[in-house]
Amino acid sequence: MLSTLSEILRDNWEWRHQIVRLSIFELVKKSRGAVLSWGWFFIKPAMYIFCFWFALEMGLRQGAASASGAPYILWLCAGIIPWFFMQDMINTGTDVLHRYPYLVNKIKFPISSISAIYTTATMLVQLMLMVVLFAIYFLCGQPLDIYLLQVPVLLVLMFVFWDMVSIAFSELSAVSKDVANLIQALSTPVFWLSGVIFSVSNIHVGWIQAVLNINPVTFFVSAFRAAFYDKMWIWENPGLCIGFAAVFVITAVFMVFVYKRLNKEVPDVL
Amino acid sequence: MSSSEAEEKAPVVQEPAGEGAPVETAQAEDHRKTGVSDEVVVEFDHVTKTYTLYKSDKGRLLGVFGIQRPGSYLGTVNANNDLSFTIRRGEAVAFLGRNGAGKSTALKMITGVAHPTKGQVSVGGRVSALLELTAGFDMKLTGRENIGLRGQIMGLTNEEIAELEPKVVEFADLGLYIDQPMRTYSSGMKARLGFGFAVGTDPEILVVDEALSVGDRAFRDKCVKRIREIMMDENVTVLFVSHSSSTVKEFCSRGIVLDHGTQVFDGPIEEAIEFYERNY
Repeated sequence: MLSTLSEILRDNWEWRHQIVRLSIFELVKKSRGAVLSWGWFFIKPAMYIFCFWFALEMGLRQGAASASGAPYILWLCAGIIPWFFMQDMINTGTDVLHRYPYLVNKIKFPISSISAIYTTATMLVQLMLMVVLFAIYFLCGQPLDIYLLQVPVLLVLMFVFWDMVSIAFSELSAVSKDVANLIQALSTPVFWLSGVIFSVSNIHVGWIQAVLNINPVTFFVSAFRAAFYDKMWIWENPGLCIGFAAVFVITAVFMVFVYKRLNKEVPDVL
Repeated sequence: MSSSEAEEKAPVVQEPAGEGAPVETAQAEDHRKTGVSDEVVVEFDHVTKTYTLYKSDKGRLLGVFGIQRPGSYLGTVNANNDLSFTIRRGEAVAFLGRNGAGKSTALKMITGVAHPTKGQVSVGGRVSALLELTAGFDMKLTGRENIGLRGQIMGLTNEEIAELEPKVVEFADLGLYIDQPMRTYSSGMKARLGFGFAVGTDPEILVVDEALSVGDRAFRDKCVKRIREIMMDENVTVLFVSHSSSTVKEFCSRGIVLDHGTQVFDGPIEEAIEFYERNY
């Protein structure tokens, strides 16, 4: 168990230079051939945010200013921007081996590091969007305060957690098409049954709240909102933290189990 | 235009080499005898590679969680069965056998893209593989970017890649296409780039799997010439899979014959070819 985990960590550490360079190639590939090239990394999210802002604030009139007087758009962005990272990780990150077949069985490359390539590439986009989020934050006249220290920690945590998810499910998706389809089908409920576009704390039914708090997306979204909007520490909501810690440990164990079973078999079946 | 010109010219350049082939082969043989060192670069120690077969992907998925339902689990196939051999630095070894004898599986394990089920495979040195020439590239990237990409995967520094790039570009001879996405390449063009890359990286162990069967005559001659150069000038180990006895005889000094994953003969190339042709 621990030896498998240390094998994964060692592989990723030894290949770290290649991982970073290949993730840049991934971004180059994405922006290839488009006139606006890198602009698309911003245009798509901007459209998404506009639509949700319009539907929720104008249409449903859900928006309400917080105690600190920060506008609704900041609340929305602080949740939706991390969701863009998680959305990519759920939709594509859980089936990366089919994206890089040549790294699996044509060239010697550690399979767990293929997930790291995609996670790093997605994280680079996320960092660019974070810069935008900070710009919105300061444009809204919010102060530079100590709660923002949670942001870098959360980004690292988000990287590690979704990289583990990617390793586990990519290997399963390589073996079975069912897994890839299942995860993609789950993407929609994971979004709507999380706190991305509504606040979980507004639901006053204990068990529903508990269930939603187990969703890792809820944890990340609430944590980013705690830093940018609610101005609190994430551990001030212990239920959420305990739920996420449990999910984190289960995911780690699951990843090690799948890796141990499948790592040597995947190149033979892909 | 430029590439077709080059193709027309190429045979003319190659012909003298073709005529002088017997002489060169003799030289190469001499070189082989002295070039072999005692250092073991590839060692197979009772290696067995088992493929587990299921009726469907569903069965395989359940198998991961330890559920073996009767009917979905079809059994196992030993692609390599208890293989043991050592290959020393500078040797040129041919793997002979019918389709499905386990030649490619053995080479894949040497390359490191497949793992043995039982036993130990040890490899010392940088392996450059020509497993399938047209594979191993990202079709969305250009030829030049792919050279950079593969170089980076191998862990070369930027300077080393800058040094490697013109060598590969020159060998592949793709003209303007080198800066076009690889999905627009013909299979021959992909093969040229693949071969150019594999031989351009100064390999210590060169694995050639049926690679010379693609491409036109001019390209084949060019590849043969380059492989001969590598074997003559550089003290590299070459592992070869081919169904062409003449190619094998030209390059290799030793032959290993496989049958259903089991090693049935290991010895000098002439005897190995004779054994293979007599029995299969």
